[in-house]
Amino acid sequence: MSLVSGPGRGGGSDSALPQELQLFVDKHVRYIQSLDKRKDELEYWLTEHLRLNGLYWGLTALHLLGHPDALPRNEVVDFVLSCLHDSGGFGAAPGHDAHMLYTVSAVQILATLDAFGDLEARVEGGRRKIAQFIADLQNPDTGTFAGDEWAEYDTRFLYGALNALSLLGHMDLVDVDKAVEHVQACANFDGGYGTGPGAESHAGQIFTCIGALSIAGRLDLVDRDKLGGWLSERQLKNGGLNGRPEKKEDVCYSWWVASSLAMIDRLHWIDQGKLTAFILSTQDPELGGLADRPGDMVDVFHTHFGIAGLSLLKFPGLAEIDPI
Amino acid sequence: MASHGVSRVAGSQTRSDLAREKELQQIARYNELVELVNRKVAERQYTVEVLSLTTKLLTENPEYYTIWNHRRRVLQHLFLSQTEPASLSSDKHQETLDFITADLSLTTSLLRQYPKCYWLWNHRYWVLQVGEARLQAVAARKLWQGELQLVTMMLGADSRNFHAWSYRRFVVGELERIPAQPNEVVPSKQSMVEAEFAYTTKMIKANLSNFSAWHNRSKLIPKLLDERESDDVARRRMLDDEFALIHEAFLDPFDQSIWYYHQFLMSTLSSRNSRESAIILDLTDTDRKRYCEQEINFIKDILEDEEDCKWIYEVLIQYSTSFPSLNGNESIITADDLREWLSKLRGLDPLRHGRWADLEYTLGL
Ligand SMILES: [Zn+2]
Repeated sequence: MSLVSGPGRGGGSDSALPQELQLFVDKHVRYIQSLDKRKDELEYWLTEHLRLNGLYWGLTALHLLGHPDALPRNEVVDFVLSCLHDSGGFGAAPGHDAHMLYTVSAVQILATLDAFGDLEARVEGGRRKIAQFIADLQNPDTGTFAGDEWAEYDTRFLYGALNALSLLGHMDLVDVDKAVEHVQACANFDGGYGTGPGAESHAGQIFTCIGALSIAGRLDLVDRDKLGGWLSERQLKNGGLNGRPEKKEDVCYSWWVASSLAMIDRLHWIDQGKLTAFILSTQDPELGGLADRPGDMVDVFHTHFGIAGLSLLKFPGLAEIDPI
Repeated sequence: MASHGVSRVAGSQTRSDLAREKELQQIARYNELVELVNRKVAERQYTVEVLSLTTKLLTENPEYYTIWNHRRRVLQHLFLSQTEPASLSSDKHQETLDFITADLSLTTSLLRQYPKCYWLWNHRYWVLQVGEARLQAVAARKLWQGELQLVTMMLGADSRNFHAWSYRRFVVGELERIPAQPNEVVPSKQSMVEAEFAYTTKMIKANLSNFSAWHNRSKLIPKLLDERESDDVARRRMLDDEFALIHEAFLDPFDQSIWYYHQFLMSTLSSRNSRESAIILDLTDTDRKRYCEQEINFIKDILEDEEDCKWIYEVLIQYSTSFPSLNGNESIITADDLREWLSKLRGLDPLRHGRWADLEYTLGL
């Protein structure tokens, strides 16, 4: 798919769209390309602990925008592999400790770039090694996953583990039934899920729990109408979505809420046109990128989740994304 | 990299040459410190000096998780290098306590600035757990009690901070576990469910929109009743009291939190409700019908003053259709009622039109 849109047009298909319904594709591409050229800003160094996540967010956004080659593939693969530890885990950047969050991002990047071959060429048995690192973080008693050797647990890690293991083709290394049991233990009366048993329902954690159940093939355990009802109530009058009752809207929830709705076949329970308009309103029309809310500072995290949301909403010109 | 609520204008100003120069110096200084800490840790210099270097770096960047890990490595080494268990010698005990207290005060001051930083909450929990293994039970318990105060302060600043609520549940778990008296072989029953239940009441009275507090309450009530060994009369009284509390809250019927809590109470009436979230244990169909009618009638009354509140129509339809015992000849709800409520709902809540269309189809209206 190719996008033929000049600066200030975007959307790819229809330049007759009113200004507020346009996606500034070229500006977003340039914004993402600029992210690694900001070494003269302190912020660049203070966020090194997110480098690999940032690369994943930027790369995915570029793929969705129809510019998969805007970041040089070999440099990306080199960087990712430079974050790999002997343990099979990845750190956020070279010299940073291995952690589930970055290991998942690394696996996702390698899968997106079809680079598992590059991995095996440089690290023999690399796939299996990474999968083993992840599998070893499962708690055999509860079924959930730790982030690293320091044993902090969160449903984010459980989802990340299953996601990465399914990409690596090594789900066989973990106890999927136990993991599913743990997700069930995090369920609340309102149909949602929290960070752990007893915790309040939160749209981000719902995404991780529904994503995990979906990978495990156990969406039959979900009360779709109840959860769909709760998720649909995240939409506010301005079209944006919040993460919990009585909280403000935020672009990152466009992805977590909408993809969860899509996984349980309830995406039509929200006003998709209004959500699209809300996401578009958070763009920086001058320098590219998307923010949490209109008029705020953009960042690659919200740029990724906003564009992923638009893709889920089938915005013209964007590549389609898998809700999981 | 994931900024929230920062205005674009403030960030996009072009820097003057002077500001640029200053920033480059800051970067050089910061990277020097990073390099120094990483090098010393790589050389396994697990010393008090390196500990204070990590303090400096983490104060500049509390999200740098690897440095928190380095700090843990240093602390572990310092604890282990003590030749005898800390709990036996008062000098060593004090030294251990000092290390722990220092880490607690570091993370307290950082939490005030960064209340949603995962690593800060994680580090606190870690340092207390490690410390507990090396401290006398009385001292350890005192530290955990301090945590309850800290988390109360954090929830005072942001009553919806879910990190703080999770941490609160951890702390309560620890306090319930550690013996209250030294040398106690079998810890006496020291449940905090009553106190935590009272805390949610306080939080709710301060702000009815605090769904985090309502949520915690929904988890505490079944435990509370079990611990009180409540009989059937007491259990029914609890449910009645909770309904009364939420009826008061209905003064602002546009608040989602109270409707969710009402839905929780109603869900305990369902025959599919699990034992661990039960309020009344021996519900009969007559009970269900009575409670359901009582609530539906109460909500219908609110409707008279609040015609534009979509939640009213939504729950009326939900409750009328999810309790089969309401059906039959004496039903207080007719198909016409449902049709009217649904059409109101569609008019008031067009955002979710797809959901109402599905509902209409499901109900066969
Ligand atoms: Zn956000």
